[in-house]
Amino acid sequence: MTNSMSNIEFVNTLVNKHVKPLVTDIIDQFQVGYVVDQNEIHLLLSALKNEGWIQMSYLSAVDWPEENKFEVVYVIFNWDKPVYIQLRTKIDRTNPSMDSIIQIYPGAKYYERECHEFFGIAFPGNPDYEKQLILEQWDDIPPLRKDFDPQAYSDRKFPQRTYTEDYSVTNNEPSKAEKRKLRKQRAESLKGGKKQ
Amino acid sequence: MTIVNVLLGVSVAFFGFVLQTSIAGVNRKVIARLQKRQGPRWYQEFLDIFKLLSKRSVSHGWIFDFGVIMALGGIIATAMFMPLTSTFSPFGASDNFFIFVYLLAVGMLGMAMSASGSGNPWASIGVMRALTTMLAYEVPFLVVVLTIIKLSGSSSLTAIQLFQQTSGNNWFLIALPIGGIVGFLALMGMLGKKPFETYIAPGEIASGPMVEYGGKQLGMLFIMHEITVFIEVSLFVHLFLGGASNIFEFLLKYFLVYTFANLISNVNGRFKIDQVVKFYYKWPLIMAVFQAVIAIYFGWVI
Amino acid sequence: MKSTKFSPATKLSKAEVDRKWWEIGDFFRRNSLWMLMYCTGCCAIELPPAMTSAYDMERLGMGPMATPRQADILLVSGYLSLKTLRRLIYTYEQMSEPRYVVALGSCPINGGIYHDSHAVINQLDQYIPVDVYVAGCMPNTESVMNGFVDLMGQIKNKKANGWKHYHEHFAWYKANQITSLGEVDVHDEFHE
Repeated sequence: MTNSMSNIEFVNTLVNKHVKPLVTDIIDQFQVGYVVDQNEIHLLLSALKNEGWIQMSYLSAVDWPEENKFEVVYVIFNWDKPVYIQLRTKIDRTNPSMDSIIQIYPGAKYYERECHEFFGIAFPGNPDYEKQLILEQWDDIPPLRKDFDPQAYSDRKFPQRTYTEDYSVTNNEPSKAEKRKLRKQRAESLKGGKKQ
Repeated sequence: MTIVNVLLGVSVAFFGFVLQTSIAGVNRKVIARLQKRQGPRWYQEFLDIFKLLSKRSVSHGWIFDFGVIMALGGIIATAMFMPLTSTFSPFGASDNFFIFVYLLAVGMLGMAMSASGSGNPWASIGVMRALTTMLAYEVPFLVVVLTIIKLSGSSSLTAIQLFQQTSGNNWFLIALPIGGIVGFLALMGMLGKKPFETYIAPGEIASGPMVEYGGKQLGMLFIMHEITVFIEVSLFVHLFLGGASNIFEFLLKYFLVYTFANLISNVNGRFKIDQVVKFYYKWPLIMAVFQAVIAIYFGWVI
Repeated sequence: MKSTKFSPATKLSKAEVDRKWWEIGDFFRRNSLWMLMYCTGCCAIELPPAMTSAYDMERLGMGPMATPRQADILLVSGYLSLKTLRRLIYTYEQMSEPRYVVALGSCPINGGIYHDSHAVINQLDQYIPVDVYVAGCMPNTESVMNGFVDLMGQIKNKKANGWKHYHEHFAWYKANQITSLGEVDVHDEFHE
C-alpha cells in the first residue's frame, strides 16, 4: 500500500520537476491525470519515457463543443512502477492540429490515424495520418464529434424496416391494455377498506 | 485379362465404396456416442456425397476439372485389383503389393494437379503438406512390408494371405509385433487421421487442397477419398491380419481396424508438419529396421 | 369408383420430370446441410451449444465447413458493420448454388440495439436474400435449432428460393448495396 503511494508521489515530483501542470488529478493508487499546456506535452512525454513509462496505452480526444476545444488525451503505463498517467491538453477546435509523437512512441502512428479519422485532428509529423484505418469510404464529418447525428445518418443511408399495423377492432370492447388499466383503478379504489 | 475380370474389378471398387461409406457413417455415430450425443444417421455419408453431386459448381479452368477426374479414375483403377478374400481376386494373380503402391500415387498426383490449378495459396500449402506426409510414412512402412514379403516368399497379396492362414503360422501382427505397431502407425498416416491430419487442417489452412472445390468436384473428391480409405485398410487387413477366408471375416476385421483407428484419432490433437516428419523418422523407423534385422537375419519370428 | 380398365401410365411432361429430380435433390440437400459460420457478431456464441452434446446439430446432418465454396448455408450471426457487409457479399457470391442464408438475432431484422449507429446496417434483406430469421437478442439455442428445422421444412416445400431471387432481382440488390455501402469492392491496405 505504501509502496504505490510512493509511486504516485514519485510521479508527482517527476512531473513537477519539468512542467507546472494546470490540474493534478489523483484518481486512485494506480491512476493519476494531469492537464498541461499544448507545447509542454512532448517534453513531458520524453522525460516520462526515459523514466520507465514505455508503453503508450491510448491516445484519443474528447470533444468540448461549448468551449470550442478538443482535449487530446495520452495514457501511458509503466510496468515496473505500475501507474497509469493521463496527460490531457486542450487544443483549438476550428483548426485542430497537434504535433505527432511518433519519434517518442512509434506505435502511436495508428492511434493518430484513428484520432484523425474520428475527430479531424491533424498530426503533422506523421507521414500517413490521413490514410483510412477503420472507416471505409466515409463521406461525412468525422463521426465522434458531438455535432454529428448518428441517427440521422442511419435513417438517411440505411433503409429501415417498416412495420404496418393492419388490423382493425370490430367489436366495442376496450383493448387489453385498457382493460388492465381499468382493473388497476378498481383495485386501487378498494384499498383501505372502502366499499364501492 | 478378360472382360469378366474388368467387370469383377469394377464391382469390387463399387463394393468398396459402399462398404467404406456405410462404415464411415457408423463410425460417426460411434464417435458421437463417445462424446455423449446422438450422432447422425448411418447413411449420412451417402447423403453428403449425393448432396454435393447435386449442386452447381464453379470451375477454374480445364486443368482443375481434369485433375479431379484423373484422381477418381486412378483410384477406381487401383481398387479394381484389390482381393477381398484369399479366394476371390478380380485379376487373378496380378494383385501384387507394388501395383497398389504405384497406383495410389496417381490419385494423389491428380488431386495435387487440380489443387494447384485452382490458384489458391492454401491449396498449394495443403498439397505440399500431403506430399511431405506421404514421404514420411512410406519409409518405415515399406521396410516392414519388405520383411513380410521376404518371410512369405511372394509379393502377391493372395499368397501373403494364404501364407498367414496355413497352420503353424501366425498372423503377421503377432509374428512381427513391432512391425505390426509400425504398420498401424503408418496406416493412420495414410488415412489422414489425427494426429496426422496436417494436410486437411480445417482451421489452419481452410481445408488444404479442398479449399476451392464446391459442388460436383467436391463430391467426386469425396468418392475418391472413400475408395482410398477402402484400399488402405484392406491392405492392412491382408498384410497384417491374415486376410480372410470368407467375406464375413473380412468385413469384421475391416470394421475393427477402421473403428480402432478412429477411436485413437478422436482423442488426439493435430501435429505440425515438421513434427510429423520427425515422428516418423525416429521411433517407427528404428523399430522397423530392428524388426527387419531380427526377423530376417536371426529368424526370431513368433 | 375407380375404373378397372387398364390404362397405361401417363407420360410426364418435362416440367414434371424436372420437378421430380428437384425433389430428390431437395431430399439430399435438406438432410445434409453444411454451414459456413461467418461469426460476425455476438450471436455466434449460441453456436457452440448447438454443435456440442447439448443440442446436437449433427443428428440433423448439419456440420461446420471451412470455406464458402463447400458450404450451403451462410450463417449471419449478429450485427453487420459496413466493412463486414462488403466482405460478406463477396463471400455470398462465391458460394455454390443452391445456397441459403440464415440470420440470427434482431440486428439483421431491424438493426437491433445498434439501429441508430452510423456504421451498422439496419435490414439485411435489402442487400442479400435471407431465408430464415431467428429473432432474439440473443436467441435461445432451442430457437436456433428451431430455425434450422424451419429451413429444412422450407427446402422441402420449395420456398427457400433466396438464391433464385438474387438472380432475378440482381439489379435491385446491387442498387441497394451501392446506396448504403458506396462501393462493394474492397479497397484497403491489404487489397490494393
